[in-house]
Amino acid sequence: MTSRWWLPRRAVQTGTILLLASPAAGFTFFSGNLASAELAGVRLSDPLACLQAVIGSGVLVPSFLFGALLVTAFYFVLGGRSFCAWVCPVGFLTELAEKFSRRTRRGGRRLPLATGRYVLFVVLATVAATGVPLFEVLSPIGIMGRAVAFASLVPLLVPAAILLVEIFAAPRVWCRSLCPLGAFYALIARFSPLKVGFHRERCTGCGDCVAACPVPEVLDPLWQSDACRVRAGACTRCLACLDSCPERALSVGFRFKKEPLSLTDEGRPIEKSAP
Amino acid sequence: MGLSRRDFIKACAAAAAFAAAGVTTARPEWAEAAEDGITWGKAPCRYCGVGCSVLVGVKGGRIVSTKGDPAGPVNKGLNCIKGYFLSKALYGKDRLTTPLIRKGNRMVEASWDEALDLIAAQYKKAIAEHGPDSVALYGSGQWTIQEGYVASKLMKGGIGTNNLEPNARLCMASAVVAFMNTFGSDEPMGCYDDLDLGDTYVLWGANMAEAHPVLFSRLIDNKLKHPKVKLIDIATRRTRTTKMADEFIAIKPHGDLAALNAIIHVILRDKLYDEAFVAKHVSFKRGKENAPYGLKDKEAFNETPADVKNLTFEEYKALMKPYTPQWAQKVSGIPAAKIEELARVYGDKSRKVNSLWTMGVNQHSRGVWVNNLIYNLHLLTGKICKPGENPLSLTGQPSACGTAREVGTFAHRLPADMVVMNEAHRKKAAGIWGIPAEKIPAKVGLHTVEMFRAIDRGELKCVWIQCTNPFQSLPNLNRVRKAAQSRKAFIVVSDIYPTRSTELADVVLPSASWVEKEGVFGNTERRTQQWFKMVNAPGKAREDVWQLIEFAKRMGHGALFPYPEKGMHRAIFEEYRKFTLGTGKDLAPYGVYAKVRGLRWPVKANGTETRWRYTEADDEHVAKGEGIKFYKAPNNKVSVWFRPYEPPAEVPDRNYPFWFCTGRLLEHWHTGTMTGRVPELRRAVSQATVELHPEDAKRLGIRNRDQVRITSRRGSIVLTAEIGGRGTPERGSVFTTFFDEKKLVNEICIDAFDPLSKEPDFKKCAVKVQKA
Amino acid sequence: MTKERDDSGISRRRFLKEGALAPFALALAAAGGGTVYLRPGEAHGFVLRPPGAIVARRFLAACVRCGKCAQACPYHSIRLQDRGVGIGTPYIAARHTPCYLCPDLPCVKACPSGALDQKTTEVEKVRMGTAQIVDREGCLSIRGLRCEVCYRQCPLIDQAITLEPRHNPRTGEHTIMEPVVHREKCVGCGVCENACVLPKPVIVVRETVEVQRDSYDF
Ligand code: SF4
Ligand code: SF4
Ligand code: SF4
Ligand code: SF4
Ligand code: SF4
Ligand code: SF4
Repeated sequence: MTSRWWLPRRAVQTGTILLLASPAAGFTFFSGNLASAELAGVRLSDPLACLQAVIGSGVLVPSFLFGALLVTAFYFVLGGRSFCAWVCPVGFLTELAEKFSRRTRRGGRRLPLATGRYVLFVVLATVAATGVPLFEVLSPIGIMGRAVAFASLVPLLVPAAILLVEIFAAPRVWCRSLCPLGAFYALIARFSPLKVGFHRERCTGCGDCVAACPVPEVLDPLWQSDACRVRAGACTRCLACLDSCPERALSVGFRFKKEPLSLTDEGRPIEKSAP
Repeated sequence: MGLSRRDFIKACAAAAAFAAAGVTTARPEWAEAAEDGITWGKAPCRYCGVGCSVLVGVKGGRIVSTKGDPAGPVNKGLNCIKGYFLSKALYGKDRLTTPLIRKGNRMVEASWDEALDLIAAQYKKAIAEHGPDSVALYGSGQWTIQEGYVASKLMKGGIGTNNLEPNARLCMASAVVAFMNTFGSDEPMGCYDDLDLGDTYVLWGANMAEAHPVLFSRLIDNKLKHPKVKLIDIATRRTRTTKMADEFIAIKPHGDLAALNAIIHVILRDKLYDEAFVAKHVSFKRGKENAPYGLKDKEAFNETPADVKNLTFEEYKALMKPYTPQWAQKVSGIPAAKIEELARVYGDKSRKVNSLWTMGVNQHSRGVWVNNLIYNLHLLTGKICKPGENPLSLTGQPSACGTAREVGTFAHRLPADMVVMNEAHRKKAAGIWGIPAEKIPAKVGLHTVEMFRAIDRGELKCVWIQCTNPFQSLPNLNRVRKAAQSRKAFIVVSDIYPTRSTELADVVLPSASWVEKEGVFGNTERRTQQWFKMVNAPGKAREDVWQLIEFAKRMGHGALFPYPEKGMHRAIFEEYRKFTLGTGKDLAPYGVYAKVRGLRWPVKANGTETRWRYTEADDEHVAKGEGIKFYKAPNNKVSVWFRPYEPPAEVPDRNYPFWFCTGRLLEHWHTGTMTGRVPELRRAVSQATVELHPEDAKRLGIRNRDQVRITSRRGSIVLTAEIGGRGTPERGSVFTTFFDEKKLVNEICIDAFDPLSKEPDFKKCAVKVQKA
Repeated sequence: MTKERDDSGISRRRFLKEGALAPFALALAAAGGGTVYLRPGEAHGFVLRPPGAIVARRFLAACVRCGKCAQACPYHSIRLQDRGVGIGTPYIAARHTPCYLCPDLPCVKACPSGALDQKTTEVEKVRMGTAQIVDREGCLSIRGLRCEVCYRQCPLIDQAITLEPRHNPRTGEHTIMEPVVHREKCVGCGVCENACVLPKPVIVVRETVEVQRDSYDF
């Protein structure tokens, strides 16, 4: 029996959307969207949105900054891009789309992961130079959030366009290669203590984890070097690899030290895996 | 003092202009000019008592446009915003187009025959079982003269009951009684020209800026032209009128009764009166006092000639002694010095002083008295019957004067100032109607408030409501609505839209409105204005005259209405005109009205109008050399009444600490059945609000646009607060408007009424104000 | 590396299919994006922002498009733009629902980013724009009729709008009661624009008029 991380993950993803819709339904414990929100009286802000607003307008509201830091700290502790896998509605949508396109056996080329940070740079440079918060203008995350909260439907053409491209030309291209927010969380994810660990002894090399991973590149070092944890910031902590691995060779936890994982904490006899 | 030469030239020029505006041939009777396929016809505005003339543009059987009539002497081509959107009042989506009969909780479409047969059967049954006084007809100051006349003839001359009332009981009755008991004839001596010619205007509880929009614009123009013109606004609420007035004098509700007496006191004390005028024209009287407030059912109160005591001037002066300004200051809230000043304004021989008033004075549990006291000011100082110097009672409905008052559709009235109690009057009416005089009952019918109370008591079996909306507009509304809901009487409502009254009816009849029929209205300044039918009413809708005559036929009174189908309106008017000839209320032949933009009666032998009554300068009934002659009053002497101070019916107390007042605003008219269907006016003002004084609001923690609950002993409603907007009531009082059919504010109002005029006091009751 | 990825095994047929579809999909996607971003925005370049909005250029950056202001407005006066650079930013379509100037300004309180300036606490000091009569010949009051609906509905009646009466020479005996907006008092709430009875409002909230000072004191 493998793990079933997908269950709580889907619950959180769905919960996010319900939360976004709750003000329209008359509830008051939540307001706003993923750019900035108030949840049970606590002000939370998207750090990248905050960064753009502050750079672009020169206006700095302490509570706004504090909300952004709070969120940054939260995702730092919980793995950075865990936002992508667990919260972001665009991630949710494109993930579902990929499932659909896999079933219909469409493909296309996966573009490299590294471009996101350049996009992030362009976004910040643009806002500094022109005052236009490029990502807030284009963000499909904001568009989806507002579509849910305000039934503002025309802008949904933007996420729809992304889906088209992803299904027919380049799978998961937005989240993998373009999203500056993903790139931003990738930067902090790198240093996050919450990481996926790898128990080399159990791995049979079946490759199921690679097939499950939205960013399979991050698993490559596990074979190419003797790394015992996934260190790349791009890992979304979606834990699909854990769910997929029949050998339970992957685990998740807070890892503060660099040494190899203890192999005894799993409670199962260790068998040497076949090459 | 006479009419100046300039005034006469003006009048003659106007008359010539009217005559020149004749009808050309080959076009429909009412058409004035045709362009772009639009045919224009003249009509008075459907809404208020100002009586603006409009031109109605018709194309393809539909009104496509209206515009102010440049030839209209009242408005010279202007309108207020209601008049601007006049045509839309007829074209709401939910016009009633077919008769409806109640089947349980449903209203079922029916034919006219079914509906009228049912009504006649119900009326016959009631009359057979309970006598003619068990049925009633409740009409309107928006009825045309023809409608009112036919109604009066049918009820008083046919069915044999005086249970006929107009909704004008709710607005003009106090003015009527005061006109009658002071001058012996209803309606003002002056006219709108006084607004151009005077130099001091004292407004007693009248928000002219909103309730008489075009007239107010005329009054202000006088002020702009002549720097010496002064406008004094005496009211319980600061309004748009206040904003343009020179002076605002805040007065406590009901304080007018005290303040007026004190002003008279000062005029007498300081001998500011016109000795010669008083000696020649005035007799002093004292009436019945300690009057009730009508709160008990069937409370009878009458001021018969036996109750009236004649006074000498000296006796009168002695009676007025206690009404000092110091005393009045306490009761009215007006500083004593201000009262002295007002007395000097009225007493100033160098100034032409006018008093203007409407509902603040009329809707008053001592409304007749306040009217009397205002006349006293003018009669003592002789400031009356002179161009630019008159008291002018303003009206609110387009034909409150023409129909309700001149035709006399009140429970005690007959046409042209006559009353049912007077045998000679009954005889005259019976003569014209061609019936035996005994047919007209001498017993005064049920006045409006009693009429609807009689439904509750089960005494009134059938009531037919035409052209008005009593189940929104009556005071103490809960009682009458409950009575109707429990089906205590058979209720017929004729209207053009579903209203809060049609929802309670057993039969709803679709009516034709305004230029969908031919008619005549009479406005505030005695101007009689005629119009022709220009478009067809939608669906099966028929005009009220037709409904009444068809009903009369079924009741066996068809012979009373032998009018030809073509020219019916002319025939009815000509018959009615017979009542007026030689009475000082003389009307012109119908054909003349078809041509002119109205004429002010009494119309002279040469066909011209009278602007100022009772003066040799203008009124034909006064011979040359007689100067001013109040020829309708007994012995040609008008009455100055001693009217003491008596407290209001209900005053704020610990539980209900606020005064509550209702009124009108510019954008909507009456209960909003017409203006509520004009999208632009609904956009402009969409709901009734409650106005509070900012300090009261602060104390109660109420902020602008908060929901506020108003509760009286009779009902409770929630309204949106409006603070610092178009109107600000004085501290301790709140104000709201009654046009909003979703907010039945009259549930709050007390059904206390003036014992003489039986007009309810919509302006004063005690309420509690809470944040909702 | 243990398992061959299967993207090398694309069949010829499938490649053709994908190859033809991809550019088509890209074009469609571009059209979708274009629809959102290239549609014309406000024609006169002025967008009526909620109370307290900072100057237009900086507002576009400061607003994180969270919609909290819109959610806070009890009258649903605030809407979010769905096009152009301002996508997601709040605006008030005064003709539809104006700002009713809540005494506690919940919209300003809700704004996290300072796009709506937190220092805005008095409604009288709000400057969303300035009402202007854009068609004097159309305005019914200036034509002599008794309209003045805008004036009576203005929450700052007699301050932001006053009536300036003058003689009406056309009738010779009436008053033209012209509504005049005072830029130093008008908050730009748009209530007047909302209320104007003409099909196209002739009183419209425009960009706040910069007061150009000189030394004349009349
Ligand atoms: S990469 Fe961007 S869009 Fe994708 S899941 Fe992460 S934050 Fe959302
Ligand atoms: S409502 Fe009165 S003031 Fe307005 S246009 Fe009609 S008659 Fe004139
Ligand atoms: S002040 Fe009130 S009405 Fe105006 S935008 Fe803000 S929340 Fe809405
Ligand atoms: S609350 Fe502030 S940041 Fe959010 S949408 Fe409104 S103005 Fe923009
Ligand atoms: S926008 Fe219009 S309603 Fe609002 S304050 Fe200015 S003038 Fe008054
Ligand atoms: S509401 Fe419109 S037409 Fe009327 S006065 Fe105001 S601007 Fe003029």
